Amino acid sequence: MSLSHVLKLFVNPRDGWMAIHDRGYSIAGVVLGHTLIFALIPAVAGYFGTTQVGWQVGGGEIVRLTSASAGKIAVLYYLAMLAGVGTVGWAIHWMGKTYDADQPVGQCIALASFTATPLFLIGFLQAYPVLWLNLIAGLPALAFTTYLFYTGVPIMMEVSRERGFLFSSAMLAFGLVTLVAMLAVTALLWGTGFAPSFTS
Amino acid sequence: MAEAQTYNYKVVRQFAVMTIVWGIVGMLVGVILAAQLAWPVLNFDIPWLTFSRLRPLHTNAVIFAFGGSALFASSYYVVQRTCHVRLFSDRLAAFTFWGWQSVIVLAVITLPLGITTTKEYAELEWPIDLLIAVVWVVYAIVFLGTIVKRRVSHIYVANWFFAAFILAVAMLHIVNSAALPVSMWKSYSAYAGVQDAMVQWWYGHNAVGFFLTAGFLGMMYYFVPKQANRPIYSYRLSIVHFWALIFTYIWAGPHHLHYTALPDWAQSLGMAMSLILLAPSWGGMINGIMTLSGAWEKLRTDPVLRFLIVSVSFYGMSTFEGPMMAIKTVNALSHYTDWTIGHVHSGTLGWVAMVTYGTMYYLLPRLFGRELYSLKLVELHFWIATIGIVLYITAMWVSGIMQGLMWRAVNTDGTLTYSFVESVQAMHPFYIIRFLGGVLFLSGAIIMAYNLWKTVAGAKTVDAAIPVPAH
Repeated sequence: MSLSHVLKLFVNPRDGWMAIHDRGYSIAGVVLGHTLIFALIPAVAGYFGTTQVGWQVGGGEIVRLTSASAGKIAVLYYLAMLAGVGTVGWAIHWMGKTYDADQPVGQCIALASFTATPLFLIGFLQAYPVLWLNLIAGLPALAFTTYLFYTGVPIMMEVSRERGFLFSSAMLAFGLVTLVAMLAVTALLWGTGFAPSFTS
Repeated sequence: MAEAQTYNYKVVRQFAVMTIVWGIVGMLVGVILAAQLAWPVLNFDIPWLTFSRLRPLHTNAVIFAFGGSALFASSYYVVQRTCHVRLFSDRLAAFTFWGWQSVIVLAVITLPLGITTTKEYAELEWPIDLLIAVVWVVYAIVFLGTIVKRRVSHIYVANWFFAAFILAVAMLHIVNSAALPVSMWKSYSAYAGVQDAMVQWWYGHNAVGFFLTAGFLGMMYYFVPKQANRPIYSYRLSIVHFWALIFTYIWAGPHHLHYTALPDWAQSLGMAMSLILLAPSWGGMINGIMTLSGAWEKLRTDPVLRFLIVSVSFYGMSTFEGPMMAIKTVNALSHYTDWTIGHVHSGTLGWVAMVTYGTMYYLLPRLFGRELYSLKLVELHFWIATIGIVLYITAMWVSGIMQGLMWRAVNTDGTLTYSFVESVQAMHPFYIIRFLGGVLFLSGAIIMAYNLWKTVAGAKTVDAAIPVPAH
């Protein structure tokens, strides 16, 4: 059960990863049982936050998005998160060959998906869309995610800890590049007519 | 003859020590500036402490004093070790040390006084520019002269990068600093209008490309294989990406002038060349990462290697980010925002400073014949610095994109949604986070200085004998 695995992972990461590893997730198993559900948290919270709560800039009026615009963005956001988990899972599988790890794709997606759990959970804060608050709360979540990843790679991919350290670092660089690419794509979309519309 | 049979480590030691000193000075000024942006009251209404005067002091101190001293130290060390020969001339080498330090001291005096050409990264006025030109030409003579009298026929690839950096910087500095003096401390650029802007950014971007990239790649190509105790992953790749990098970088400058008076074709050319630049940049990253990858069993026990691997990762990330930001549509959002500041610092803190730290931890114990005082402190430095960089970059990403979006937001009637000062107000929390990131990074540098001080204090200097070539 995905939820018990998440709990185990948070209480004792190493035991959690062992349990996830022994469960031997299939692609469908992890996507249906974990990714699709947990990725809903930031998407729904974001939709609620941008349409209902809104944010204020420098003591001005409260800014909100129209529901149609926010809905479109929430769907794109949800899909982007799923694509992100899928891409990282695939990259782990692909890069595994370099580090003598040959695990089924499902296992790799499970690694990517469960690693992202702290970020999915902290996503509920997007219901209160104040950027700096989200950044401050997001950073510890990001740190915990990184920690989960470093402990998870050797266990899930069945490689030695030394190799796992290098494997994780290479994936971290891959993740940073993906992040920057997403920033650029966002700016490109925004510049070519996909900008959100605000309530007036 | 005894002297001729050892390497000249004296000048390397001098530059290495000044690298640490100027690093702390430059970063401290940076932290003060970050604090001023968050809390403007820290200007204290004193002209010499205003942002506009301290900012060029920060950039000059970290790039030319800290980075420059590190490049002098490492290039003099590497060229001797790989050519199996003492430096071309001890006296000229000493001249470059004292000359370069004088330039820095003059910068520290003139910039806060408000004496400036107003050209970014080339603010120093014409008398100092002349001194730089002389010192730099002498540097070229010492470095290239040493290569000429080498005792191994092969020229190691690190020396290619150092030589390219020295020659290109000489060319850039002399062309861009051409000016008409009107008094001792005032001059006007030899170029007018948009030509001046283009020459300036041809210089400016290649200061990044040759000073902060080619030179530090030279450092990477020597110290990464040394610390990992393995040969370079691919020597062929190093030569191919060297020539590709040299050819491509020089064209990328116009991306600093998107949507300005610069002719549109020149902007598009600069954008295209910036995108192509990704390939040669990543050639270097792949070579560095793959060389380090073979040393995975050493990685857990050797914190110095961690500095090197993180520096190469940040190099890869920022050289990916750069081409993205050079795309005109992305640039329309990112230009003039904090995203640019974040990008620059992921390159300078993540790549330049981290690879320099790795090099200094390698170099100083060897120059003084001691073991590093504390590996624990190296590890502490590593984590503090890394966390500092992450705080800095994430704060600037978020605030930069927010700034860009606020500036371009318009109401249905076409008026601007936000006034400029509203965007400034919105930046405040991120400026505080950035300040904290800077404080962490500076603290790391101070820990390093303490660690290295404890390493070398009381030690006798060491001079290494030159081995007889095997052939």
